Amino acid sequence: MRKSIIRRFTRTSEIPTASTADIAFLLILFFMVTTVFRATTLRLTLSLPQARSTERILMRRHVKYVWIDTNSKIYIDDNVVTENLITAKMAPKVYDDPELVTILNVDESVNYGVVDVVLDKLKEAKAYRITFATEFWR
Amino acid sequence: MQLREKKKTRYAIPTASMGDVAFLILIFFLTSTVFTKDKGLKMLLPEKTEQEEIVKVKPENIVMILINPAGAIRIKASGEERDIMPNEYDEIKRIVEERLFDRDTLLVVSLRTSKEAPYKNMVQVLDQLKLVKVMKDGRELRANKISLIPTSEE
Repeated sequence: MRKSIIRRFTRTSEIPTASTADIAFLLILFFMVTTVFRATTLRLTLSLPQARSTERILMRRHVKYVWIDTNSKIYIDDNVVTENLITAKMAPKVYDDPELVTILNVDESVNYGVVDVVLDKLKEAKAYRITFATEFWR
Repeated sequence: MQLREKKKTRYAIPTASMGDVAFLILIFFLTSTVFTKDKGLKMLLPEKTEQEEIVKVKPENIVMILINPAGAIRIKASGEERDIMPNEYDEIKRIVEERLFDRDTLLVVSLRTSKEAPYKNMVQVLDQLKLVKVMKDGRELRANKISLIPTSEE
């Protein structure tokens, strides 16, 4: 009996650390795969319309953004753009990358007339692939 | 004897710092990660040609949706007309599904929005059209032919 008690005292408890590197690498791989480096952060507060059929856009490379804010101002690449300049701005981009998808971030209160003009200009620039940015339905 | 002893020497690459290196890279990616938040409704615009191309569609294959500045809707399908208020947009889906089942892939939905109508309403109607789904003879039908009529067109 006595012997066994002494033995218990000599026991050392250890947390196995051999797998920490594995766990870390797993997390690395996850973040490497999901990381997107973004250069543009626009200081615009838009409230996008909500839609039940909202799809995630998995494309990252062939994407161009157009913003229209509450004052019906149009932005491309952080610049305010007039209606007449949209075609001139977009046409070379579509020429360089025919797969280009234009994502329209339009505030929900904007009149459709403004959006319609932009769509027309995008057609002229041959930017046929578009997406209306929306929020998931809550 | 001496030769045998030499053979016993072992080589090992120290792996103690592996975890540290891994965590360093991990923290780098943790801090630099931005998840894509792009989401929306996909559309394909028609080509713009010099001469307006006239595509003839039989009137019974068309569902015409008009949105007025207040967001109210008038649906014209197969000679019938119906007015829909902004809070009953679910009706659009039901009506279009009915027509789609009847006309199959021939169905064209044309969406005419007033210039003064809020963009929100147009998106909500488009959303309803995207939700349209009908099963017919084991096939899944969707309202693929949606045309956004320019406001300049009369």
